[in-house]
Amino acid sequence: MFKTVLSCTGLAVAAYLTAGWVTKDFSAWTAEGARRADVLQAPVAVPAVRLEGPGINNRPANELLADGRGVTILDFVYTRCVSVCTTLGSGFQQLQASIKAEELQRQPAIDQAGQVVAGGDAAARPGAHARGRVRLLSVSFDGKHDDVAVLGRYAAQMRADPDIWRFAGVPDAGERRALLDAFGVVVIPDGMGGYQHNAALLLLDARGRLVRVFDYGELTAALAQARALAAEGRG
Amino acid sequence: MPAPPAAIVLPDASAVAPRPVARMGLRAAGLGGALAALVAMPPLGAVLEAGMATHMLLQYPALLLAGALGACGLPRRWRAGLDAWNGLGISGLLFVTLALAVLMIPRVLDLALTDGRVEFLKIASLLGCGLALVTSWRRAGLVVQGFFLGNVLPMTAVAGSLYLDAPLRICNAYRLDEQQQVGAALVAIVATVAIAWLASTGWTLVRQEQCSES
Repeated sequence: MFKTVLSCTGLAVAAYLTAGWVTKDFSAWTAEGARRADVLQAPVAVPAVRLEGPGINNRPANELLADGRGVTILDFVYTRCVSVCTTLGSGFQQLQASIKAEELQRQPAIDQAGQVVAGGDAAARPGAHARGRVRLLSVSFDGKHDDVAVLGRYAAQMRADPDIWRFAGVPDAGERRALLDAFGVVVIPDGMGGYQHNAALLLLDARGRLVRVFDYGELTAALAQARALAAEGRG
Repeated sequence: MPAPPAAIVLPDASAVAPRPVARMGLRAAGLGGALAALVAMPPLGAVLEAGMATHMLLQYPALLLAGALGACGLPRRWRAGLDAWNGLGISGLLFVTLALAVLMIPRVLDLALTDGRVEFLKIASLLGCGLALVTSWRRAGLVVQGFFLGNVLPMTAVAGSLYLDAPLRICNAYRLDEQQQVGAALVAIVATVAIAWLASTGWTLVRQEQCSES
């Protein structure tokens, strides 16, 4: 009986250690949860993959996302998508509207002589203003279908304001893979000719590093966090 | 994952005559090895793991079965040595409980696809579960069996209903609809195993009673 007690104790300890290892000390039960915890701990720099899209002339992602135009909320899309992307599309439309409204509020009222009279806080100064903004970027992972023209049409359909919300694809398949891998995004066929993927809203700081991941339902939280991050960079 | 229904009435290798059955045991173990290699190695392994349902509902039970077959080929001396550490089958069934609990963590499914170490541990522990069931079940007796099932079945049912109800995908590699199918299947398997065990236990007890009466 002693041997049985001993082996049971050993098994229990081994199972506890294994489960603790797999769940990051019982905090992450899914791969996505573990990934998000990792990102929170150590931001992930965007790899230097070439992005192509309307108004983006084949620029490396690390340059585009750290061009001094503020923080970015990024999502992965494919334009043929009709289910969740439509929701996400309208989610991004809401974000765009909120960002626009906020920027209008911050914009200083300027009197005839060109003097700032009201509503202009420090952030509204030229330069500082641009740095503290929140930008949206939708990246297509459907390289076969989504070329610049398709993305342009899709952007128009979404009424995207190119100053706030841009669209890009990664023309090179290997680089596309590298970008998805770097951000821990797994794209799988949905069995109906489309795709499903994890990691809904990716928040990137002004230096182009992935700092946090939000769910589709967390638009408000994502925007609040983005604004806080943008305000930090502005200060 | 509970044991496949086949594991409920398990062959007891120690209760059989040595010679012809030793050969049969070896044959069973060989069959188990072949089955394990078939479902865990390419090309079929990757095909099974491409879907959540085939991964959890085909590959897992196949590996359990392979481990169970392997147990039939254990030499008697090893078997006796193992039994010494496995009083009343308690250690074996505890191992099955703990291994299945860990294997039902959604992250393990994703990691098994991307991390070779986790895949190896997964395969090894499922084979071990099959082996442990064969070497522990009869010796456990009704009380320990009931306690074991009373833990594993509700645990599996809870995992199944979580899979079924989760609005988000819990595995990056698998679709939401697959996850719901697997959840429903887990709940169904739990119900089947519970009913089967109750029926067989009831049958045994009633027969015993009849025998003692006459």
